[in-house]
Amino acid sequence: MAEKMMLTEDQAIELFTFLVVSARTQLDDPHHYASMRLLTAAEILRDFITGHTSPETQKLLEATVDKSERAQIIMNDTEAFAGALDELCAMVAQFLVERNGLQERVP
Amino acid sequence: MSRDTLNVIKTRRVIRNMTDQPLEQEKLEKILESARWAPVGGNQRIHRFVAVQDPTLLRLLRMVSPGMFQKPQAIILICIDWDAVESENFSEIEKTPYIDVGSQMQTMMLAAHALGVGSGPVTSFSREAVRVILNIPVNLEPYLMVTLGYAAPTKQLPMQASVRGKKKKVTWQSLTDWERYKS
Repeated sequence: MAEKMMLTEDQAIELFTFLVVSARTQLDDPHHYASMRLLTAAEILRDFITGHTSPETQKLLEATVDKSERAQIIMNDTEAFAGALDELCAMVAQFLVERNGLQERVP
Repeated sequence: MSRDTLNVIKTRRVIRNMTDQPLEQEKLEKILESARWAPVGGNQRIHRFVAVQDPTLLRLLRMVSPGMFQKPQAIILICIDWDAVESENFSEIEKTPYIDVGSQMQTMMLAAHALGVGSGPVTSFSREAVRVILNIPVNLEPYLMVTLGYAAPTKQLPMQASVRGKKKKVTWQSLTDWERYKS
Protein backbone atom coordinates (compact mmCIF):
# COMPACT_ATOMS: atom_id res chain seq x y z
CA MET A 1 0.00 0.00 0.00
CA ALA A 2 1.39 3.38 -0.99
CA GLU A 3 1.68 5.62 2.09
CA LYS A 4 3.29 8.68 0.52
CA MET A 5 1.53 11.38 -1.46
CA MET A 6 0.98 10.22 -5.03
CA LEU A 7 0.17 13.61 -6.58
CA THR A 8 2.70 16.30 -7.34
CA GLU A 9 1.77 19.79 -6.23
CA ASP A 10 1.03 20.78 -9.86
CA GLN A 11 -1.23 17.77 -10.32
CA ALA A 12 -3.10 18.52 -7.11
CA ILE A 13 -3.56 22.14 -8.23
CA GLU A 14 -4.88 20.97 -11.61
CA LEU A 15 -7.47 18.71 -10.02
CA PHE A 16 -8.42 21.36 -7.44
CA THR A 17 -8.86 23.93 -10.24
CA PHE A 18 -10.99 21.57 -12.31
CA LEU A 19 -13.32 20.95 -9.36
CA VAL A 20 -13.66 24.63 -8.41
CA VAL A 21 -14.25 25.78 -11.99
CA SER A 22 -16.72 22.96 -12.60
CA ALA A 23 -18.71 24.13 -9.58
CA ARG A 24 -19.19 27.44 -11.42
CA THR A 25 -19.68 26.24 -14.98
CA GLN A 26 -22.20 23.67 -13.82
CA LEU A 27 -24.58 26.49 -12.91
CA ASP A 28 -24.83 27.26 -16.65
CA ASP A 29 -24.38 23.78 -18.13
CA PRO A 30 -27.15 21.16 -18.51
CA HIS A 31 -27.69 19.49 -15.13
CA HIS A 32 -26.70 16.02 -16.36
CA TYR A 33 -23.25 17.36 -17.24
CA ALA A 34 -22.50 17.36 -13.50
CA SER A 35 -22.21 13.60 -13.52
CA MET A 36 -19.86 13.73 -16.50
CA ARG A 37 -17.69 16.37 -14.82
CA LEU A 38 -17.27 14.19 -11.74
CA LEU A 39 -16.33 11.27 -13.95
CA THR A 40 -13.79 13.48 -15.76
CA ALA A 41 -12.34 14.51 -12.38
CA ALA A 42 -12.05 10.83 -11.43
CA GLU A 43 -10.25 10.17 -14.73
CA ILE A 44 -7.85 13.05 -14.11
CA LEU A 45 -7.05 11.60 -10.68
CA ARG A 46 -6.72 8.10 -12.15
CA ASP A 47 -4.30 9.31 -14.82
CA PHE A 48 -2.20 11.14 -12.21
CA ILE A 49 -1.84 8.21 -9.81
CA THR A 50 -1.48 5.42 -12.39
CA GLY A 51 1.93 3.84 -11.90
CA HIS A 52 2.29 5.11 -8.32
CA THR A 53 -0.03 2.70 -6.50
CA SER A 54 -0.01 -0.86 -5.22
CA PRO A 55 -0.37 -3.55 -7.92
CA GLU A 56 -3.95 -4.21 -6.74
CA THR A 57 -5.01 -0.58 -7.10
CA GLN A 58 -3.16 -0.41 -10.41
CA LYS A 59 -5.32 -3.28 -11.68
CA LEU A 60 -8.45 -1.39 -10.65
CA LEU A 61 -7.30 1.79 -12.39
CA GLU A 62 -6.50 -0.07 -15.59
CA ALA A 63 -9.77 -2.00 -15.48
CA THR A 64 -11.84 1.18 -15.21
CA VAL A 65 -10.37 2.88 -18.31
CA ASP A 66 -12.68 1.30 -20.88
CA LYS A 67 -15.76 1.61 -18.72
CA SER A 68 -15.29 5.28 -17.89
CA GLU A 69 -14.50 6.14 -21.52
CA ARG A 70 -17.62 4.29 -22.64
CA ALA A 71 -19.68 6.18 -20.07
CA GLN A 72 -18.38 9.51 -21.41
CA ILE A 73 -19.24 8.45 -24.96
CA ILE A 74 -22.83 7.52 -24.15
CA MET A 75 -23.51 10.50 -21.93
CA ASN A 76 -26.41 11.57 -24.14
CA ASP A 77 -28.17 8.25 -23.60
CA THR A 78 -29.28 8.52 -19.98
CA GLU A 79 -30.14 4.86 -19.45
CA ALA A 80 -26.93 3.56 -21.00
CA PHE A 81 -24.93 6.21 -19.12
CA ALA A 82 -26.47 5.10 -15.81
CA GLY A 83 -25.78 1.47 -16.70
CA ALA A 84 -22.13 2.15 -17.51
CA LEU A 85 -21.72 4.08 -14.25
CA ASP A 86 -23.41 1.22 -12.34
CA GLU A 87 -20.83 -1.18 -13.76
CA LEU A 88 -18.06 1.20 -12.78
CA CYS A 89 -19.45 1.56 -9.24
CA ALA A 90 -19.74 -2.23 -8.90
CA MET A 91 -16.15 -2.63 -10.01
CA VAL A 92 -14.94 -0.09 -7.43
CA ALA A 93 -17.10 -1.70 -4.71
CA GLN A 94 -15.68 -5.15 -5.49
CA PHE A 95 -12.21 -3.68 -5.17
CA LEU A 96 -13.12 -2.24 -1.75
CA VAL A 97 -14.54 -5.58 -0.60
CA GLU A 98 -11.33 -7.35 -1.51
CA ARG A 99 -9.09 -4.60 -0.16
CA ASN A 100 -10.82 -4.84 3.22
CA GLY A 101 -10.86 -8.65 3.29
CA LEU A 102 -14.67 -8.82 3.32
CA GLN A 103 -15.00 -11.49 0.67
CA GLU A 104 -13.97 -14.15 3.18
CA ARG A 105 -16.40 -12.97 5.85
CA VAL A 106 -19.66 -14.87 6.15
CA PRO A 107 -22.58 -13.93 8.40
CA MET B 1 -21.33 25.91 -54.02
CA SER B 2 -18.83 23.36 -55.24
CA ARG B 3 -19.00 19.68 -54.43
CA ASP B 4 -15.77 20.11 -52.43
CA THR B 5 -17.39 22.68 -50.16
CA LEU B 6 -20.37 20.40 -49.50
CA ASN B 7 -17.98 17.56 -48.79
CA VAL B 8 -16.07 19.67 -46.23
CA ILE B 9 -19.37 20.53 -44.51
CA LYS B 10 -20.49 16.91 -44.37
CA THR B 11 -17.21 15.38 -43.22
CA ARG B 12 -16.28 17.85 -40.48
CA ARG B 13 -16.46 16.40 -36.97
CA VAL B 14 -15.86 17.82 -33.51
CA ILE B 15 -12.42 16.50 -32.60
CA ARG B 16 -12.07 15.65 -28.92
CA ASN B 17 -8.75 13.82 -29.06
CA MET B 18 -5.79 15.64 -30.60
CA THR B 19 -2.15 14.68 -31.15
CA ASP B 20 0.93 16.59 -29.97
CA GLN B 21 1.73 17.64 -33.57
CA PRO B 22 2.23 21.41 -33.62
CA LEU B 23 -0.14 23.51 -35.68
CA GLU B 24 1.58 25.50 -38.41
CA GLN B 25 1.43 29.29 -37.99
CA GLU B 26 0.32 29.67 -41.62
CA LYS B 27 -2.69 27.41 -41.07
CA LEU B 28 -3.66 29.20 -37.87
CA GLU B 29 -3.56 32.52 -39.71
CA LYS B 30 -5.68 31.14 -42.57
CA ILE B 31 -8.28 29.94 -40.04
CA LEU B 32 -8.30 33.40 -38.43
CA GLU B 33 -8.64 35.00 -41.86
CA SER B 34 -11.67 32.82 -42.62
CA ALA B 35 -13.50 34.35 -39.64
CA ARG B 36 -13.06 37.77 -41.20
CA TRP B 37 -15.31 36.49 -44.04
CA ALA B 38 -17.99 35.02 -41.76
CA PRO B 39 -21.45 36.55 -42.13
CA VAL B 40 -22.17 38.92 -39.23
CA GLY B 41 -25.12 41.15 -38.41
CA GLY B 42 -25.02 44.48 -40.28
CA ASN B 43 -21.45 43.64 -41.32
CA GLN B 44 -20.43 45.22 -38.01
CA ARG B 45 -17.28 44.01 -36.27
CA ILE B 46 -18.29 43.62 -32.65
CA HIS B 47 -16.07 40.66 -31.79
CA ARG B 48 -12.41 40.14 -31.02
CA PHE B 49 -10.45 36.94 -31.54
CA VAL B 50 -7.68 36.00 -29.12
CA ALA B 51 -5.29 33.43 -30.61
CA VAL B 52 -3.33 31.38 -28.08
CA GLN B 53 -0.38 29.09 -28.84
CA ASP B 54 1.83 29.47 -25.76
CA PRO B 55 1.99 26.02 -24.09
CA THR B 56 1.67 27.41 -20.55
CA LEU B 57 -1.37 29.50 -21.46
CA LEU B 58 -2.93 26.53 -23.26
CA ARG B 59 -2.43 24.36 -20.17
CA LEU B 60 -3.97 26.97 -17.87
CA LEU B 61 -6.94 27.54 -20.20
CA ARG B 62 -7.54 23.81 -20.27
CA MET B 63 -7.47 23.69 -16.46
CA VAL B 64 -10.29 26.24 -16.21
CA SER B 65 -12.35 24.67 -19.00
CA PRO B 66 -14.22 21.58 -17.81
CA GLY B 67 -15.75 21.17 -21.27
CA MET B 68 -12.37 20.87 -22.98
CA PHE B 69 -11.58 17.20 -23.54
CA GLN B 70 -8.96 18.04 -26.15
CA LYS B 71 -5.33 18.95 -25.59
CA PRO B 72 -5.21 21.54 -28.39
CA GLN B 73 -2.14 23.05 -30.03
CA ALA B 74 -3.93 26.38 -30.40
CA ILE B 75 -7.10 28.05 -29.18
CA ILE B 76 -9.02 30.89 -30.75
CA LEU B 77 -11.16 32.62 -28.15
CA ILE B 78 -14.12 34.54 -29.56
CA CYS B 79 -15.00 37.54 -27.39
CA ILE B 80 -17.96 39.89 -27.65
CA ASP B 81 -16.80 43.51 -27.54
CA TRP B 82 -19.61 45.21 -25.61
CA ASP B 83 -18.15 48.68 -26.23
CA ALA B 84 -18.43 48.00 -29.97
CA VAL B 85 -21.94 46.62 -29.52
CA GLU B 86 -22.94 49.85 -27.78
CA SER B 87 -21.28 52.09 -30.35
CA GLU B 88 -23.03 50.27 -33.18
CA ASN B 89 -26.36 51.00 -31.47
CA PHE B 90 -27.54 47.44 -31.14
CA SER B 91 -30.47 47.24 -28.74
CA GLU B 92 -30.10 45.51 -25.39
CA ILE B 93 -32.26 42.60 -26.44
CA GLU B 94 -30.43 42.16 -29.72
CA LYS B 95 -29.28 38.55 -30.25
CA THR B 96 -26.82 39.45 -33.03
CA PRO B 97 -23.67 39.32 -30.86
CA TYR B 98 -24.44 35.73 -29.90
CA ILE B 99 -25.58 34.58 -33.35
CA ASP B 100 -22.40 36.02 -34.86
CA VAL B 101 -20.28 33.97 -32.46
CA GLY B 102 -21.86 30.85 -33.95
CA SER B 103 -21.31 31.86 -37.56
CA GLN B 104 -17.68 32.80 -36.89
CA MET B 105 -17.11 29.55 -35.02
CA GLN B 106 -18.55 27.46 -37.83
CA THR B 107 -16.62 29.34 -40.50
CA MET B 108 -13.35 28.73 -38.63
CA MET B 109 -14.16 25.05 -38.04
CA LEU B 110 -14.90 24.50 -41.73
CA ALA B 111 -11.73 26.34 -42.73
CA ALA B 112 -9.75 24.21 -40.28
CA HIS B 113 -11.22 21.01 -41.69
CA ALA B 114 -10.48 22.14 -45.26
CA LEU B 115 -6.84 22.59 -44.18
CA GLY B 116 -6.74 19.14 -42.57
CA VAL B 117 -6.85 20.55 -39.04
CA GLY B 118 -9.19 19.21 -36.35
CA SER B 119 -11.30 21.56 -34.27
CA GLY B 120 -13.83 21.58 -31.49
CA PRO B 121 -15.87 24.30 -29.79
CA VAL B 122 -15.87 24.77 -26.01
CA THR B 123 -18.29 26.93 -24.07
CA SER B 124 -18.01 25.29 -20.66
CA PHE B 125 -15.27 27.37 -19.08
CA SER B 126 -14.99 29.97 -16.35
CA ARG B 127 -15.22 33.34 -18.10
CA GLU B 128 -13.68 35.13 -15.15
CA ALA B 129 -10.78 32.68 -14.89
CA VAL B 130 -10.11 33.03 -18.64
CA ARG B 131 -10.26 36.82 -18.26
CA VAL B 132 -7.55 36.70 -15.59
CA ILE B 133 -5.32 34.22 -17.43
CA LEU B 134 -5.37 36.21 -20.70
CA ASN B 135 -5.63 39.65 -19.06
CA ILE B 136 -8.77 40.41 -21.08
CA PRO B 137 -10.16 43.95 -20.66
CA VAL B 138 -13.58 44.42 -19.08
CA ASN B 139 -15.36 45.40 -22.31
CA LEU B 140 -14.63 42.00 -23.83
CA GLU B 141 -16.69 38.99 -22.82
CA PRO B 142 -14.97 35.65 -23.47
CA TYR B 143 -17.72 33.61 -25.09
CA LEU B 144 -16.50 30.58 -27.01
CA MET B 145 -13.22 28.79 -27.65
CA VAL B 146 -12.36 27.05 -30.91
CA THR B 147 -9.76 24.41 -30.07
CA LEU B 148 -7.37 23.43 -32.87
CA GLY B 149 -4.98 20.54 -33.46
CA TYR B 150 -4.53 17.39 -35.47
CA ALA B 151 -7.00 14.59 -34.85
CA ALA B 152 -5.64 11.51 -33.11
CA PRO B 153 -6.21 8.44 -35.29
CA THR B 154 -8.20 6.64 -32.61
CA LYS B 155 -10.16 7.25 -29.43
CA GLN B 156 -12.42 10.03 -30.65
CA LEU B 157 -15.53 10.37 -28.51
CA PRO B 158 -18.47 10.43 -30.91
CA MET B 159 -21.57 12.03 -29.46
CA GLN B 160 -24.85 10.33 -30.27
CA ALA B 161 -27.33 12.67 -31.87
CA SER B 162 -30.30 13.18 -29.61
CA VAL B 163 -33.63 14.88 -29.96
CA ARG B 164 -35.26 16.03 -26.72
CA GLY B 165 -33.05 13.68 -24.72
CA LYS B 166 -33.77 10.60 -26.86
CA LYS B 167 -31.10 8.96 -28.97
CA LYS B 168 -32.25 9.30 -32.54
CA LYS B 169 -31.00 9.07 -36.11
CA VAL B 170 -31.05 12.60 -37.46
CA THR B 171 -31.63 13.44 -41.12
CA TRP B 172 -32.28 16.76 -42.75
CA GLN B 173 -35.85 15.59 -43.32
CA SER B 174 -36.34 14.87 -39.61
CA LEU B 175 -35.21 18.42 -38.82
CA THR B 176 -37.37 20.13 -41.43
CA ASP B 177 -41.01 21.12 -41.68
CA TRP B 178 -42.42 22.57 -44.88
CA GLU B 179 -44.50 25.67 -45.35
CA ARG B 180 -47.26 26.30 -42.74
CA TYR B 181 -47.93 24.19 -39.66
CA LYS B 182 -51.35 22.60 -39.49
CA SER B 183 -53.80 24.14 -37.05
